[in-house]
Amino acid sequence: MNREPFFRRKTSISYKTEEKTVLRGYNLSDIAEKGYSFSDALFVLFQDRIPTENEAKMLNYEMGVFIEHSMSPSAVSATGVAMGRPNLPATVAASVSTFGGVHGPGAAHGYMLNKYLERAHNEGKSVDEIGKILVDEYTDVGQPVMGMGQPQHTDSDPRAYPIHLKQEELGVGGVYLQLQRAVEKYFHARRKQEGRSYVGVNVVGSGNTALCDIGFAPNAAWCIGSVCRGFSCAAHALFNMKKGRAWGASRQEPMVQVLDLSMIKYIGPADRKVPKQEERQEYATKQKEEGEYKKWVI
Amino acid sequence: MIDPKDKKGIGNLDSPDLPFDYSKREYGTVPLDHSNRAPFQWVSEVSYKNVHRIVVRGYDTTELMEEGYGVPDVLFVIYQSRIPLEEESKLLDYVMIMALEDGISAPAAMSRIVAQSKTFLTQAAGASILAFGHAYGAYVAFGTRLNKYLTQSKEEGKSLAEVAELLVRENLDDEALGVSELMLKDPAAKRMIARAEKLGVAGDYIALTKEVTKAAQKISSKPVDLDMLGATGATMMDLGFTPEAIWGIMGCTRAIAAGAHFIEEVERVPYSRTGQMLTPREDYDGPEDRAVPDLEERAKNAKPAQTQTVDEWKKAFEERKRVNGSGYSIVEEIEDPSEKTGIKKVGRYAPQHQNI
Repeated sequence: MNREPFFRRKTSISYKTEEKTVLRGYNLSDIAEKGYSFSDALFVLFQDRIPTENEAKMLNYEMGVFIEHSMSPSAVSATGVAMGRPNLPATVAASVSTFGGVHGPGAAHGYMLNKYLERAHNEGKSVDEIGKILVDEYTDVGQPVMGMGQPQHTDSDPRAYPIHLKQEELGVGGVYLQLQRAVEKYFHARRKQEGRSYVGVNVVGSGNTALCDIGFAPNAAWCIGSVCRGFSCAAHALFNMKKGRAWGASRQEPMVQVLDLSMIKYIGPADRKVPKQEERQEYATKQKEEGEYKKWVI
Repeated sequence: MIDPKDKKGIGNLDSPDLPFDYSKREYGTVPLDHSNRAPFQWVSEVSYKNVHRIVVRGYDTTELMEEGYGVPDVLFVIYQSRIPLEEESKLLDYVMIMALEDGISAPAAMSRIVAQSKTFLTQAAGASILAFGHAYGAYVAFGTRLNKYLTQSKEEGKSLAEVAELLVRENLDDEALGVSELMLKDPAAKRMIARAEKLGVAGDYIALTKEVTKAAQKISSKPVDLDMLGATGATMMDLGFTPEAIWGIMGCTRAIAAGAHFIEEVERVPYSRTGQMLTPREDYDGPEDRAVPDLEERAKNAKPAQTQTVDEWKKAFEERKRVNGSGYSIVEEIEDPSEKTGIKKVGRYAPQHQNI
């Protein structure tokens, strides 16, 4: 049996021989045998260190509250892909891939915090001062402050504030929590001053802050959060595969299905005649000159 | 709105062979369904949320974590709708550690290749999950097979040893057997089974898998032993997870480590540009370099694919097998053994629970 690697890479993450799989120098099997948790192993994976007990508890808490979020872009995509009845991994891959600039933008939040902490360091400012600068700079140009607001949980994400409290209870709060707290304080104050509605912290704002304080780089934190969601999205896909209708358009179901033809609302160009090939050049030239098509270009 | 009559005479669309009159097709979308069917809703028995709560299988997720439950516990809730015993939770933690990292095997390789294109991490992590199939990460194939033979054992009154031997004789060379030459020197798979037994969680699946290992060692012409697929699959099934759930959980677990591989690839290897990668001439064994014939000479050079008799078809088929990449030399009808029942009537109105 050919056991050659697909390609060769210098890596400091792991190696695997016929005898063992080694993660950052530790035999993976020994990590499990000694009673460490999956959360502990993630510190070894991303940070090359054994965490304190409370750090591992914090990671476990953050993953636990993030793992399931019912009807969100990730679960919707897993379910949508499942309707075609592919292999399950395709549904999970789709769900993880939904995490981008808006859905769980953990890396972007982490990079934002790092950028302003760097500025505080370089400009001799306190964490509180740089928190106000961050809020003002984002708000002045109309940019949303990352980590604030969630379209479904309008009174603040129910997971978010408890994460802050857990971080404090476990004694794993650091400069990131200080900055995030300052951001929230000035964010709320400015919105109030401007007569705008209350927008609470979201789970990225609190969860990612906790991950940063326990040593995860922005992308590592994003990886943990977004992939973690895949665990529950696989269940949503399986629910559709095992108990739902494939295709999602059957008229035999007592409830209108998501892909029922009546669900289509079309707002594109009006119905029009396909030009004959003989008319094509003249038609296309006129269409291009009139330029009306440009409003439909996406 | 144009008159559909104007559409007559387009291509073959007046053909009487068509199943309906194409000149009379309506334009416009289908109106909303105002019959007595219930309107569309997001139907789930896994979870729901409202403005202030996220609830999985009836448990508020924040309350679960505040009560000190762990990620493995939540996975039991999600997939099995139950709080696990402490021993079960410990064992799942163990299994997930073992599933986390596998060096630069398919998932990490996928992640690293995607990383070279300068993408989001999530795109690479998602791609790594796509590496799980019915050979690599073959949990659904493995588990479905165990279920089949365990059922046979119960229904036909056969011992585990008897059905194990049957299973091995019928599937000896299958990638999803769970017994192979992969772990002759690495004790990790056997340690996992020993841990399950020590925690008192081992059941029928581990028992059958041990018999399968013995049978394979007796029947196989080469040395074989329990591998990680077999140990993980059997342990997870004794923990009560379905084969499909195991597939999902293992794919996600590995994807976290694939994220670390993404990061390291970005840290240590330059991005790859469009058209950058070369394929060496010495790796090529196709037709010799040749001039593209002039378009005017197409009829002289073109070879039509149509055959008119079975003998001609067979001859052409065999010839086409020589073209690597054409697909003629393989029969690849991969059956997905996952359970997909497609039970109807999901979403019906029920008096006690309107949105189930």
